[in-house]
Amino acid sequence: MPIIKTTNLNFSFRQDQKILDNINLEVPEGSIYGFLGPNGAGKTTTLRLLLGLLRNQQGKLELFGKDFGTHRIELLRRLGSLIEQPSLYLHLTAKENLEIYRLIYRVSKERVNQVLSLVGLENTGKKKTKQFSLGMKQRLSIAIALLHQPELLILDEPTNGLDPNGIIETRELLKKLNKEHGTTVIVSSHILNEVERMATHVGIIHKGRMLFQGPLTELQQMKTRQTAIEIETSDNQRALALLQQKFKASVNEHRIIVPFESKEQSAELNRMLVNQDIDVYSLHPRQNDLEQLFIDITSNN
Amino acid sequence: MSIVIATKAEMIKTRRSASFWISLIGSAFIPLIFFLTYVIQPAKNAMRLTNAPWEMHYMQGYQAFSAFLLPMFVILICSLIPQLEYKNNAWKQVFTTPQSIGTIFFSKYLSIIMMIVFLFVMFNIFMVLAGVIPSLIHPDLPFLSKSFDWAGLLKLNIKSFISLLAMISIQYWLSLRFRNFIVPIAIGLCLLITSLILLQWEHVSKVPYAYPSLSFFQLSTGTMPKSDSFLMNHELNSIGYFVLFTVVAFLDMRFRKERG
Repeated sequence: MPIIKTTNLNFSFRQDQKILDNINLEVPEGSIYGFLGPNGAGKTTTLRLLLGLLRNQQGKLELFGKDFGTHRIELLRRLGSLIEQPSLYLHLTAKENLEIYRLIYRVSKERVNQVLSLVGLENTGKKKTKQFSLGMKQRLSIAIALLHQPELLILDEPTNGLDPNGIIETRELLKKLNKEHGTTVIVSSHILNEVERMATHVGIIHKGRMLFQGPLTELQQMKTRQTAIEIETSDNQRALALLQQKFKASVNEHRIIVPFESKEQSAELNRMLVNQDIDVYSLHPRQNDLEQLFIDITSNN
Repeated sequence: MSIVIATKAEMIKTRRSASFWISLIGSAFIPLIFFLTYVIQPAKNAMRLTNAPWEMHYMQGYQAFSAFLLPMFVILICSLIPQLEYKNNAWKQVFTTPQSIGTIFFSKYLSIIMMIVFLFVMFNIFMVLAGVIPSLIHPDLPFLSKSFDWAGLLKLNIKSFISLLAMISIQYWLSLRFRNFIVPIAIGLCLLITSLILLQWEHVSKVPYAYPSLSFFQLSTGTMPKSDSFLMNHELNSIGYFVLFTVVAFLDMRFRKERG
């Protein structure tokens, strides 16, 4: 049973502008689901709908196999969330912020200390949250989301604004929770690289439409198929003619592009060029960033 | 009860907040002025207050407090407490906690009402101290030798509080509606000043922001109708408005399309 399932979810703020267009999101139990898309793609809108912060207009929305609209409180009890910027009372300390949610979720006082040390904020004492760095605020927000040991975490760009160290720490924390406690995580991001490093499943959304959804391995296979080798030489004209005898080479600006097959193929390409006295300045797989991936997927569709 | 727990959680949010300091400083302001006049001019005040020191002290204190300062503090408190959520981007976190919209709405409402009760309690304590402490310094002042009308004081407080209910409900609704806290404060102050201008109007008992002044005037000048009822017309109206605007504000929050 998927932990999150949406069926034909549609949403628009204005009648003529669809923000979400038939979104069928499916987050399997125990997965880390990377919800990927550029800014303005509809990630936050989807997550806000999942949490009931926006009223559902059209389509079905189920969490833990139950309809969200009719089981709101019961379902909210089972999940923790962090949407966009931290929601912290800046005039209070880390402990006081947690105390508010401790009362509402009815968890023990020990749990407050546990989550504080889990996110490395156990020594902040009487320091007010407004004196915290952005990374500390983000960590405290994660502590709030984790306080009641939820089965599902809904996180919207949790590493936004964090330094590289903070990004790694957050990633490791999510992986640990997933592995040790079986927590299902849905985490949105606009950075492909980041999602690849922790997700087991990926959904890609662009202009309100799901372009891809499936296990990470499937995405990686697709990416490999899309990957190309870029070569820069002293004589691109001759090099192109030479490589076209054996490969589907083409020229793009100042580089020759050859579809990627294997590592051995790269070595062969190099050998062929060098043997013909063509100097190779660079030879590397083309960086497959999110933008390129979108272009590839959309052109595939 | 979830509402009790939620209200407790709401009260943590007001710790060291602007609304707390406004209540504390606001309640001390007028008693402090009285304290200073008694200390600086004990002989003159001792003469003036001889017959009924506490009654005079209280009536003068309330006169200064109830017409403008008290409603203004109420407007500020009603805006500043919901503002904590807006300012800290916290509404979204509040609405994703496993609580009914009713619990969220009423726990915040209760925390505002408790802050106003705190303002009242502190005002009374400071007023008593403003009479007692100068009397210890200058024994000529008659406060310690004359009895204290607790029942009258309680009545004054309860009636003042009831007269504020209409305002509280309107201001709470406005504060939930507008993200920018200046808007409800500006609307509140405009309505308050308009009401003060309308005090002589024959239909003033239908103007919610005039009620605190009406309650005080009718108590202090003895123009209270000689009926058995404890509450006067405008105070009943205040309760009516309170119920009406509470329902309106709740439905507004309940059926809003976008939360947090």
